Amino acid sequence: MKKILITDVTLRDGNHAISHKITKEQIALYAAAADAAGVPIVEVGHGNGLGASSLQVGESAIDDETMLRTARENLPHAKLGIHVIPGFATINKDLKKALDLGVDVVRVAAHCTETDITQRHINYVRDRGKEAYGVLMMSHMTSKETLVEECQKMESYGAEGVMIFDSAGAYLPAEVSERIEELIDNLQIPVGFHAHNNLGMGIANSVAAAEAGASMIDGSARGFGAGSGNAQLEVLVAVLEKMGYSTDIDLYKLLDAADIAENNLVKEIPRIKSLSIVSGLAGVFSGFSKPVERISKEYDVDPRDVFFELGRRQVVAGQEDIIIDVVAKLASQKKER
Amino acid sequence: MNHIQNEIILEDCKSVTSGQISRLEPLKNEKILITGGTGFMGTWLAEIITFLNDTYQFNTQLYLLSTHAHSYREKVPHLATRRDITLIERDIRNLKDLPEDVSWIIHAAANPDSRAHASDPLRTVEVIVDGTDAVLEYASRLPEVKKILNISSGQIYGAQPRDLGGIPENFVGGLDCSAFNAAYPESKRIAETICSIYRNQQRLPIVNARPFAFIGPWQGLDRPWAINNFIRDAILGGPIRILGDGQTVRSYMYPSDMAWWLLNILVRGKTGMNYNVGSPEAITLQDLAEKIAGQFPKPPKIRSGLSKDTSLNVSRFVPSVDLAIKTLDLKITTNLDTAIKRTILWNQMVNPLRW
Repeated sequence: MKKILITDVTLRDGNHAISHKITKEQIALYAAAADAAGVPIVEVGHGNGLGASSLQVGESAIDDETMLRTARENLPHAKLGIHVIPGFATINKDLKKALDLGVDVVRVAAHCTETDITQRHINYVRDRGKEAYGVLMMSHMTSKETLVEECQKMESYGAEGVMIFDSAGAYLPAEVSERIEELIDNLQIPVGFHAHNNLGMGIANSVAAAEAGASMIDGSARGFGAGSGNAQLEVLVAVLEKMGYSTDIDLYKLLDAADIAENNLVKEIPRIKSLSIVSGLAGVFSGFSKPVERISKEYDVDPRDVFFELGRRQVVAGQEDIIIDVVAKLASQKKER
Repeated sequence: MNHIQNEIILEDCKSVTSGQISRLEPLKNEKILITGGTGFMGTWLAEIITFLNDTYQFNTQLYLLSTHAHSYREKVPHLATRRDITLIERDIRNLKDLPEDVSWIIHAAANPDSRAHASDPLRTVEVIVDGTDAVLEYASRLPEVKKILNISSGQIYGAQPRDLGGIPENFVGGLDCSAFNAAYPESKRIAETICSIYRNQQRLPIVNARPFAFIGPWQGLDRPWAINNFIRDAILGGPIRILGDGQTVRSYMYPSDMAWWLLNILVRGKTGMNYNVGSPEAITLQDLAEKIAGQFPKPPKIRSGLSKDTSLNVSRFVPSVDLAIKTLDLKITTNLDTAIKRTILWNQMVNPLRW
């Protein structure tokens, strides 16, 4: 039976869905429930990862140390994971402290064509004897050949596996299969997939990844994540088990954890709103939804036009400040008409 | 370096040179320039030469050229402060005001770290290609050059065929020149070509060494090679993580043998020849991990992560060293078991943050 390594990103990607305002109590409650269900890795932190709390991308309600310490105390069995984007997180200020607090797994992320910036962070994690994985965000924005080259770089830096993120929820299953197969053909290390559900393909794309040979898949309780959410974890595990994959997760307890998440973390169950469909079609990072909606409303422009223009400009996470430019340009064009 | 580490190096130098000293007598009272002199190879070459100076009055002077001379003084003070060693801080691509009394050159300047090749391939190419040209241009102006040893790489052969036990020097393999990791081996190939041109046109006495893989003291455990990482993981308590296929085959030479071989090739190697330098003792990564784990009272677990069956395409990187053994009468004095034991012992006394 083929094993799939599941990472539960509820307490990290889900933080996007509540503008990074997750509380200590919520982390403690959900982490304990996920741990009891046998989830192997629980990822915790600001939506954009370690050290990302800022005015630009949103300030966390509690600091990284409190988040990690709380999670660690409530994860007696599961590994504690973090998402790290070099630039947001620095080695000395953030990463060192995080590892000292008991983080086991670090996923070092970069835009899909910029993995050069991950080398030092991956090296540091490996030197500390912890697990380091490479992550390519917005992976739909480049060709499968470029994805291979970028993943080979991370493999050469010492990454123990690589994940491709569908940050915009833009993929269709055939596209996922094609990319995962190409990566597996050209890498020695395991390959994984992280879905977003903008086009309703979260589970289908994750299954396609597993069928193409991916051995690491992400999910979040009730799909709690940026934009229209991630692959819904409890559905993902149920489907994978039904298909004959092993996740080592207790489904009943996972369903209990999902109920706990719904009752205590999730203000609004992620659903595919009209704007999420547009962001998926435009290939724009799901985390842009809230600021696009807010700023478009303020300037009275159609947020759907804003998303398509952002897609045309190929914006990536961290470039949220471009939204205002785009909105202002569209508002001015509207006036001229 | 504490006294135990010092003892390890001293024993290694004694052992590898034992009964063979006369072979290097041409280096007595001579001056050698080593480019990349503060790296792993340069440091071991300096350990052997200074041992010969201290024990057998060789009176050989070393110029160690490097861009990292400043940190060498902190990292290796017992060599950096010696009177028979002069540190020259210089970029290999821009050589000027170098000593003119040099009669032997070992050109070892290049970073073998695959992470650097991937993240800065253009610099990798420039350092190797422009650096080799600059060194040979400098050598061609010297009054008397007795021999130049160009340190090439075993990677120039490209992928080793599955059924070829060890790659001989006359193997003409093939590299994918557009592969993401082609910068280093392709540059080393062109560097050998540059050496051939200088040998033909300037009559410079150049010999090539093609190193494979090594393990031992002075090699950082943070380097991105399987054996280094296995030892690091094991010292940290494990698990030992095999990235990729455990059936991958490698071989490892101990650095005192490496340095001794290189000095012998410098002195006794035939101009225009290429010599592989490495161990012919092949081992799979799975067996290597088990061997390393077995060195610890509580053997760490071994974990591997592989997402596909690669049994039809197992990577192998093992040299044939028959040429050096038969024509230069060289031998392997430290086997893999001893190399692993000594490397672990050495690194258990190093602050992990300095790996």
